[in-house]
Amino acid sequence: MFSGPAGTGKTASSIALARELFGDTWRNNFMELNASDERGIDIVRNNIKNFARMSSVGGAQFKIIFLDEADALTPDAQAALRRTMERYSQTCRFILSCNYSSRIIVPIQSRCAVYRFRPLGEDSMMQRILEISRAEELDISEDAVKAMIFVSQGDMRKAVNTLQSAAVMGKKIIPDAIYEITATARPEEIRELINLALDGELLKSIDRLTSMLVEKGLSGEDITAQMHREILGMENLTDKKKVELLDHIGEIEFRLTEGANERIQLDALIAHLVLSGGK
Amino acid sequence: MMKAGPENTAAPAEWTEKYRPSSVDDIIGNGKAVGEFTAWAKSWNSGMPESAAVILHGPAGVGKTSAAHAVANDMGWEVIELNASDQRTAAIIQRVVGSASRTVGLSGSEHRMIILDEADNIHGNYDRGGVQAIIGIIKTALQPMVLIANEYYDMSKTLRGVCTEIKFNKIQSRSIMPALRSICDAEGIHAEGLALDTIAEGANGDLRSAINDLQAVAMGRSHITPDDVIISGRDRRESIFDVLAHLFRRSGLNDAMHRIYDLDERPDELINWIVENLPESYDNEDSAHGFNYLSRADVFLGRVRRRQSYSLWRYASSVMVGGTMVSRSHKYKGFVRYRRPSFFMRLGRTRSVRGIRDSLTARIGDCFHVSRRYARSDLMYILRMICSDASVAVYVVARMGLGLDETAMLLDMKKTSKKVKTVFADASELAERIGPVVSPDFLYDFNGSVTDGGGDEISGRTPDVLDGGGNGNGADDPGPDRSQQTLFDF
Repeated sequence: MFSGPAGTGKTASSIALARELFGDTWRNNFMELNASDERGIDIVRNNIKNFARMSSVGGAQFKIIFLDEADALTPDAQAALRRTMERYSQTCRFILSCNYSSRIIVPIQSRCAVYRFRPLGEDSMMQRILEISRAEELDISEDAVKAMIFVSQGDMRKAVNTLQSAAVMGKKIIPDAIYEITATARPEEIRELINLALDGELLKSIDRLTSMLVEKGLSGEDITAQMHREILGMENLTDKKKVELLDHIGEIEFRLTEGANERIQLDALIAHLVLSGGK
Repeated sequence: MMKAGPENTAAPAEWTEKYRPSSVDDIIGNGKAVGEFTAWAKSWNSGMPESAAVILHGPAGVGKTSAAHAVANDMGWEVIELNASDQRTAAIIQRVVGSASRTVGLSGSEHRMIILDEADNIHGNYDRGGVQAIIGIIKTALQPMVLIANEYYDMSKTLRGVCTEIKFNKIQSRSIMPALRSICDAEGIHAEGLALDTIAEGANGDLRSAINDLQAVAMGRSHITPDDVIISGRDRRESIFDVLAHLFRRSGLNDAMHRIYDLDERPDELINWIVENLPESYDNEDSAHGFNYLSRADVFLGRVRRRQSYSLWRYASSVMVGGTMVSRSHKYKGFVRYRRPSFFMRLGRTRSVRGIRDSLTARIGDCFHVSRRYARSDLMYILRMICSDASVAVYVVARMGLGLDETAMLLDMKKTSKKVKTVFADASELAERIGPVVSPDFLYDFNGSVTDGGGDEISGRTPDVLDGGGNGNGADDPGPDRSQQTLFDF
């Protein structure tokens, strides 16, 4: 069982394993099922069981069933899976991938070796980004690598996708391109916006905000999500203040998801920051 | 002992399968349960035991299925197994298990063990009628039947009533250790004691997961050191207690949030842990503030549930975590033993009552072609009133084919009460003769002693029947006002 957040290598490891084990026949001996598409008990009793009981191809010792997003399987479907996992263990191995292992029933966990995948560290991210850049002959600055690490937050898939998108625009990769592609503001900009508002500069901060929305094309939810991240790390705020602000930002983001007007909601949020800054 | 396939060509076996005990003597832990089970099996040699079926129940990975197969092997019995990976409707169960359970082997003396694995997971829809079929088979079985389950109380009470219960417990880590050691010996692996100890402790009483962890660590190694024993997902229980201690004792929101990210727990699960332990950890005033934040966090969780907008989870997390930390007005001393969320355990304890209620309303729903919800809110009370006349009750119970528990709930009396017992006994007798029906018309057929007026008023519609019958009986029922209202609200 591979458990961990997106882009940490669960699927990649599984496919790499299959390729290494089966060589050319890996596609015949590897069944990939996304459990969030088919999550009921039928999928286990029919598709999975049928594949499990067929013998492997090309002299391979066993086959692999890769159940992506296994935590989306209903508990009943999971229950139906457990004896199948044992009964066909001579011919078939299972890899279950999930975001939260707690969503997998204990009898299944008990039948698995659990491997936790964590968000990738900065070093691994940097190494891989540089490797790909070299192979693709990209000219990437140190700042751009840092920007990649910031926007992808340990999600390698996001990092590689971002890098590819940036490479389409040109061989020279600069931080601005990274932020633009991922609809992310520079972290400094968001922090400045928050501090400006807390200092009581209502008009100035609304002006900054407007330019982010209009000129950079960020969405309201991009901005609230980033404000959440920045506020958590700000040292000039007490924890109590942080919690109060985060609660309020969450409320604003919720209203945005409900279709409220970005300008009005975010202006109101800025005004709230101005008030709570007390200046 | 090993059942590995042809050498060299077969896949390297999973150790949990390779070292599955083939004899009772090889089973580790649960001596008492295994003893009871063996004694029950041996009693088949001298005629039928009191109950043809046992339920082996207990947590995952403690040897329930292994025990069943090992006992069958020791006794020289053939095994027929049906588990949740097979569809288990009434028809299928009858076909696979029914005849096998009633016939005796050719030589006359030998038995077949019928194993129903995952007996607590017989699906309500996909396996319709499965439980009833099993109960029926057990009652007439001439062959040993073994039901295996994790959640004893997930099984219907009727089913539990016809079986002998054998409870399996977690296996102590000092029993797990030697088992791991002997596998290492057999595989020619040198493992340091501390390494095996760590695996055994981390398994939390689950021998199978310990063996799986051992095999995962041993891959490509001939020597296992404590450092090789990677911390896997099974350390979850410790880490959540650490995180709780952090929330309730220390400060530093940013730090706490990072610990939350590392915790393999969704915010909608984490909040239950905090709710459970908050009032134990804080005084009343701080708890009140904390609960206020938790209720805000819960609003976010509700929005995520409703709209699937998972981005809001981050606010739920930070408000519940930060709110808990900042509601603390002063330092707290003394040890607090953090508990797992009790709400779900309580739900578990009342599970049997809810199970009976659900099966009764489902039956009413089937008979009257209404939803279970409607059956429960509107029809249950009317039926209960009609059934205050014992002869009607007998008829209704017989025709609807209710069990003893369901009868008790319908009549709103204890199942040990005399009336319930009598009604149920008479109904069982009546049912033998007239059989159950699934049509609402069955009330028309009743020509017993509903009331004098009731019979005449029968016209074409069920509600009229109920009106007539209900009115007559409602008179001596407590709370006639409410009954009238319900009746005419139809």
